[in-house]
Amino acid sequence: MLSMKNISKVFKTDLVETHALRDFNLEVEEGEFVAVTGPSGSGKTTFLNIAGLLEGFTSGEFSLDGVNVSNLNDNLSAKVRNEKIGFIFQGFNLIPDLNLAENVEVPLRYRGFNRAERQRRVESALEQVGLAARMKHLPTQLSGGQQQRVAIARALAGEPRFLLADEPTGNLDSLMARQVMELLENINQTGTTIIMVTHDAELARRAQRNIQIVDGQVCDFSMYQKADQSLVSDLTQAAGLQKAASSDC
Amino acid sequence: MFLYYCDLAWRSIKKTPMLSMLMVLAISIGIGITITTLNVYKTMSYNPAGERSDNINSIQLWSQGLDTWDDFQSNITYTDVINLRNNNELGLKAATFRTGLAMQSDDPNIDPILESVRVTDSDFFSIFDVPFLYGNAWDKTVDSQPAYQVVIGEKLNQTFFDGQNSVGKTIYLNRKPYQIVGVIKEWNPQPKYYDPLNGAFNDAEEIFIPFLLAEQEEFDVWGNTSGWKFEPMLTYQDRLNSEKTWLQFWTFLENEDQKSQLESWLSRYVEQQRNFGRFTDTAKTPAESFQISNIELWLENNDVVPEDNKVLVGLSVLFLSVCLVNILGLLLTKFLKRAPEVGVRRAIGASRAQIFSQYMVEVGIIGFIGGIVGLLWAWGALSMLHAEFNMKESVTGLDASMWIITPLIAISTAIIAGIYPAWVVCRTKPSVYLKAQ
Repeated sequence: MLSMKNISKVFKTDLVETHALRDFNLEVEEGEFVAVTGPSGSGKTTFLNIAGLLEGFTSGEFSLDGVNVSNLNDNLSAKVRNEKIGFIFQGFNLIPDLNLAENVEVPLRYRGFNRAERQRRVESALEQVGLAARMKHLPTQLSGGQQQRVAIARALAGEPRFLLADEPTGNLDSLMARQVMELLENINQTGTTIIMVTHDAELARRAQRNIQIVDGQVCDFSMYQKADQSLVSDLTQAAGLQKAASSDC
Repeated sequence: MFLYYCDLAWRSIKKTPMLSMLMVLAISIGIGITITTLNVYKTMSYNPAGERSDNINSIQLWSQGLDTWDDFQSNITYTDVINLRNNNELGLKAATFRTGLAMQSDDPNIDPILESVRVTDSDFFSIFDVPFLYGNAWDKTVDSQPAYQVVIGEKLNQTFFDGQNSVGKTIYLNRKPYQIVGVIKEWNPQPKYYDPLNGAFNDAEEIFIPFLLAEQEEFDVWGNTSGWKFEPMLTYQDRLNSEKTWLQFWTFLENEDQKSQLESWLSRYVEQQRNFGRFTDTAKTPAESFQISNIELWLENNDVVPEDNKVLVGLSVLFLSVCLVNILGLLLTKFLKRAPEVGVRRAIGASRAQIFSQYMVEVGIIGFIGGIVGLLWAWGALSMLHAEFNMKESVTGLDASMWIITPLIAISTAIIAGIYPAWVVCRTKPSVYLKAQ
């Protein structure tokens, strides 16, 4: 479904080279719910940007849904993003001038759906997140949790195969965060593959698989879990996620 | 998508009303000034002859002496006019000049008026396709056997005869009775191309009388009386025979063959005149000593559009360029402010081309509004020129084509100004803004 092999991403300036990802390998199966954790600066967001075709990479191979997407031009990247990927961001990233229905409609516009189809999908998506009654409201009239639900509705409206979530609960209180997480779990149960970057150990534990990125590389806990419990503990301490590691591994 | 982009553009304009207003103002002022000068230029450079422009030809002759004038005179001397009139090879031909006569009718209640009069041949009406309301031009025989006949204009007919058919009635010109043979419909070509030397934007005459009456009645020739040598002129005939009485001579050439025939006739004519002691500038060959000008060339040679006007158009375009640079700065500010939104749109499926199109539609709409406001500025400026500086209405009237040209120029200007900001914003990396938001 999603396959990254030896992906490297190097940010270069005149003075320094920063390796955001190095020999990054990851396979995600269809329908999986994967949580990605790791300390700040470890490369989580870079990974998510590459996975979402928002950024290119320096070397390696990346295929999505069986198609090599390493060298897509801008139009094709946009098309893949629009048709196969849904994004959920920490800051919601709703367009403030547009009401909820219009926000959800944006990706459908770029997809070229007719008015009736757009309306059907918008209503269905907003219903799914429990905000169908507030279609005409502006994002500023909603709470943070509600805004994030609108963002999820926007991501769902295009019926994507992947949902990429970057700290989807980062700006929410625990109650709201739980609600959003439940929503994501429900979506995952319908067959949508979800990759979620989070700092929240509790949320990470609820995912089917937990991947930790440290210094731009994947540390697969399931492997270490079987091999050496103490090594896992050391690694998680180094990553500053002692709590998450102790509960996971 | 276009309508969607229009909707987004309108929201964006409403969201930043001050910035949008500044841009509209910048475009509209630039457009207003450009359109004002362009309108005056366009009206002045209009060719009223239309499709007949190549057929209607004026003749110029290099009759001046050595080391005198550097260019052809627009008109030719009375002597040459008479000789050309007698050239039977020519089809339609008309000598013409402007004079002024006192006019009165049989109605004692109407005071005499001094009227501008066109003295010409009957072919004048056919050459210039003058439309008739009543009657017609005088008979061709009157061009060789003068008769006191007159063609008057519709306005004059309205004033003196209440708009009734006045053919057969009499008017008095310098107390001489003239019988009306025709009334022409409203006809006022602008520029007045058949005689631009007497005011290219003056109104057409309302009275037309036979050319041969000039010699008989000793009409003054209004217009050019320049000379290049001393000539004693004691009598009216002396003046006509001199090299100082300049008239227009027009002919209608159906095709190139007729033009070639006229050219060879004129070559022979120059040689003949040299034998008579005229056309003394032998530095020019006979073939170089004449010029046949169609209307386009004629208008150009007579500087109907003054050079100043062209400079003004150039300056106004420069001013528009300054406005364009200002708009570019404002657009860059406005668009970059919305880069985070672009990031979101890019992330959820918009291509660079779609973002670019969205912003180009927005600048197009700003340009369109600027164009409409600019058109109002231009209309105001032209009205002011007409009211305050007594400029002719024919020059200061807003040309119908400007209603199309103005929005097009305004939209094009805005689009040119918007290309760089839209390109910059569509090139922004979405990932930079998604996290930052």
